[in-house]
Amino acid sequence: MLMPDPDQDVIDRRDAICAALKKIVPAACVIDSQESMRAYDADGLSAYRQLPLAVVLPETVEQIAAVMKWCKAEGVKVVPRGAGTSLSGGALPLADAVLLGLGKFNRILEVDYDNRCVVAQPGVTNLAITHAVQGDGFYYAPDPSSQIACSVGGNVAENSGGVHCLKYGLTTNNLLGIEMVTMDGEILRLGGKHLDAGDYDLMGVMTGSEGLLGVVSEVTLRILQKPATQRALLVGFEDTGSAGTAVGDVIAAGIIPAGMEMMDGLAINAAEDFANAGYPRGAAALIIVELDGPEAEVDALIGRVETIMRSAGASSIKISQSEEERNLFWAGRKSAFPAVGRISPDYLCMDGTIPRRRLPDMMVRMASLSQKYGLRVANVFHAGDGNLHPLILFDANQPGELERAEDFGADILRSCVEMGGVLTGEHGVGVEKRDLMNIQFTEEDLKQQQRLKCAFDADHLLNPGKVFPHLHRCAELGRLHVHKGKMPHPDLPRF
Amino acid sequence: MTLSTPIISVSSLDEVKSAVTDAMADKSRLEIIASGSKRALGRKCAYDVTLDLSAMTGIIDYQPEELVLTVRAGTPIAEVQTALAEARQMLAFEVPDYSHLLDTANAGTIGGVVATNLSGPRRLTAGAARDYLLGFEAISGRGEAFKSGGKVMKNVTGYDLSKLMTGSFGTLAVMDEITLKTLPRPETSCSLIVQVDDFAAATNKIASLFATPHEPGSAAILPAELARQAGLPLNKDTDKDTDKDTDKDTGKDKKSCVIVVRLEGIDISIADRLANLQRLTGGDRLEATASEALWAKIRDVRLFTAPVRDVWKISCPPAAAASVIDTIKASHDISYFADWAGGLVWMTGGTDTLGTDLRQALAGFGGGFAMLIRDSGTTRQVIPPFQPLPGPMLALHKRVKAAFDPLAVLNAGRMHDGI
Repeated sequence: MLMPDPDQDVIDRRDAICAALKKIVPAACVIDSQESMRAYDADGLSAYRQLPLAVVLPETVEQIAAVMKWCKAEGVKVVPRGAGTSLSGGALPLADAVLLGLGKFNRILEVDYDNRCVVAQPGVTNLAITHAVQGDGFYYAPDPSSQIACSVGGNVAENSGGVHCLKYGLTTNNLLGIEMVTMDGEILRLGGKHLDAGDYDLMGVMTGSEGLLGVVSEVTLRILQKPATQRALLVGFEDTGSAGTAVGDVIAAGIIPAGMEMMDGLAINAAEDFANAGYPRGAAALIIVELDGPEAEVDALIGRVETIMRSAGASSIKISQSEEERNLFWAGRKSAFPAVGRISPDYLCMDGTIPRRRLPDMMVRMASLSQKYGLRVANVFHAGDGNLHPLILFDANQPGELERAEDFGADILRSCVEMGGVLTGEHGVGVEKRDLMNIQFTEEDLKQQQRLKCAFDADHLLNPGKVFPHLHRCAELGRLHVHKGKMPHPDLPRF
Repeated sequence: MTLSTPIISVSSLDEVKSAVTDAMADKSRLEIIASGSKRALGRKCAYDVTLDLSAMTGIIDYQPEELVLTVRAGTPIAEVQTALAEARQMLAFEVPDYSHLLDTANAGTIGGVVATNLSGPRRLTAGAARDYLLGFEAISGRGEAFKSGGKVMKNVTGYDLSKLMTGSFGTLAVMDEITLKTLPRPETSCSLIVQVDDFAAATNKIASLFATPHEPGSAAILPAELARQAGLPLNKDTDKDTDKDTDKDTGKDKKSCVIVVRLEGIDISIADRLANLQRLTGGDRLEATASEALWAKIRDVRLFTAPVRDVWKISCPPAAAASVIDTIKASHDISYFADWAGGLVWMTGGTDTLGTDLRQALAGFGGGFAMLIRDSGTTRQVIPPFQPLPGPMLALHKRVKAAFDPLAVLNAGRMHDGI
């Protein structure tokens, strides 16, 4: 992975830059020793490591603004970082960039039940939002699997999902307002405790912008009342095609489960070895369907889903009879990644989305790619929304295996786009999928996205080298070619 | 539109592209319309040529089991809704029909709905139009084709330009091939009707219902007078005259407001939830047919009695709505009702200063925005229909506009001066 060439001039000015930053924030909030910066040299995509120029941990939004303003004036790049759990390298440091950590923004500012929202600083963890309100029966719906560690500011940057987003949406659907700081050091408030605003939906654009447009300094999140009942079905299938059909049948019957997950044979056995969740060993596919809501509704829908699964040819069905059993069903799925980690020295976790009906084709494609590359793949899907998480097993100690695994992963993502899907469903582009963006987008598509970037950050100082394979100067992107177009149908009535 | 304004009717994005590049070369400006049903919204834009998209119609792809619909921008809403209904699905954000308010003949096209980000009562729990746009193709004001998003439900690849396009009133690009997420239509619905003392009591009561697991779906607040005119059977202790706050004989507060809470889902679930909510409120059940008719009136803002004056749409924190209304009532002759648990207030009144006073009140009670929807006279020449943006926000909006439409070819000035 090639990152933009570091600016040697900036690196040479490192001591002066650190000294200046120590005048903007308390000196203890600037980390500049090699040993201490080591803790920040990677995010969740740990194959890539880089020491930053310096780490700054501001304590107030005014300090964030001052740091940004100073960096803008001095031409110093900034990489924002929440909890550093990105799986796509979104918070990967740059040698010539200040790493702006939001770790000190760790307070919940307001719990507002009258307006059903929580106002929090961006460094608060996802799960802490739910913890703050669960005593009163509320929760925050997006639940990325890293929720114990990931921060809500990072959730906004990545538009994080989770296993329940089929019914409850991604971060963008649960976000009411943000305060953000631009690269110019301006503090802006977008949205609030109200639902609609009459201006451009810049909050919607900030969500999932991977730290390229601004730094989130406060969030207002919608909270929901916890459903009265949650029950799950654990369904085994002898072939993945039937399992894929069954998933579509549930939706076609008008049922939107809270979650609908699928695992393939290799993942089932690995998870069962790890968690003893009672998974059907030997099944080709396993579906977990969770329904939530009032007890009467859940009981009725469980029955309907069971009928659909039987008609689709399920080889085994278990229905949770207690919270303990439901949690056990999930225990296997939730430990799928570490479970796979036990059967292989290393693995790469991919994240593409396909139209759900292409799932059987995708399984065939993956099997043939697995043969081609000589590497095993275990599959975990958010089946309800077509989001795939193939885990490619490899051994980094074997020369060339990491590269082979990466090529395998790229081929899977190419297949996703070819089948009508997209490169990433929830992990983000970051550096990991940056160079694959041309598969999904034309040069013109990407240039238009970068023009939007220019409206926020004209000098490309904020998190450069992420998301876009080629950086174009804003002046170049803004150039217009005005010429009289040829009408394709000159005979059309023009009155 | 005047008789001298040329109209270019286009049927493809290639033709849109030609029209935009021609306009760039001629230094002329385009008004983007299809059915024209929402032309009265926002500022009057400056244009030399009207670009008519009403020939760009048809459903390109609809896969009910994928919950994904791709449709041409000029497709009438009614056509989309019919196709969805056949598969027992819907656009969950509940497209409103403002033809009654805006004196137009129809509810418009899907492109218009997305461009204006209009959503109905289910917005409270199911989200807005902006939450359902998965992707699109478009021609920018630079005359260049680009796409964003995709045709799958879960996608974080690149910037989410779908959000930006939704509600941009055609000022950034001309969209086609709009892909929307669909959802199954609820099997049935009903409403709970609860009479309460006043508006503040109503928002409090609704908040208490949303703090239960009984899943209220939509929640409106109607002054008793409007509720009675809408045909709701109310108890006799209801205030017959909304100007009086107390009963002459008892001196006790009267029930001046009605809460309407909609429940949707399968029969057995609704029965269970309604019974629980009735236990908490003592409210009455409104059966499916009457409930649907009432919610259509709420959605389409058909509760005000004629003659309707200016109509304002106010989005505020639900708990602040009562204070905003009280403040305005003190100095204006208004009629109003609320949706979205109080978070959306519809207000009609006749004076030019209503909008300014509303915006001032909102700023004092936790923020929000007020937009002029129906202009019964010349109000939008006096007061900006969109809430003015603070300086840095306006500057950023202008930079975003310039990123897509640097020569201001598309719907120039429709939202704000220069945007």
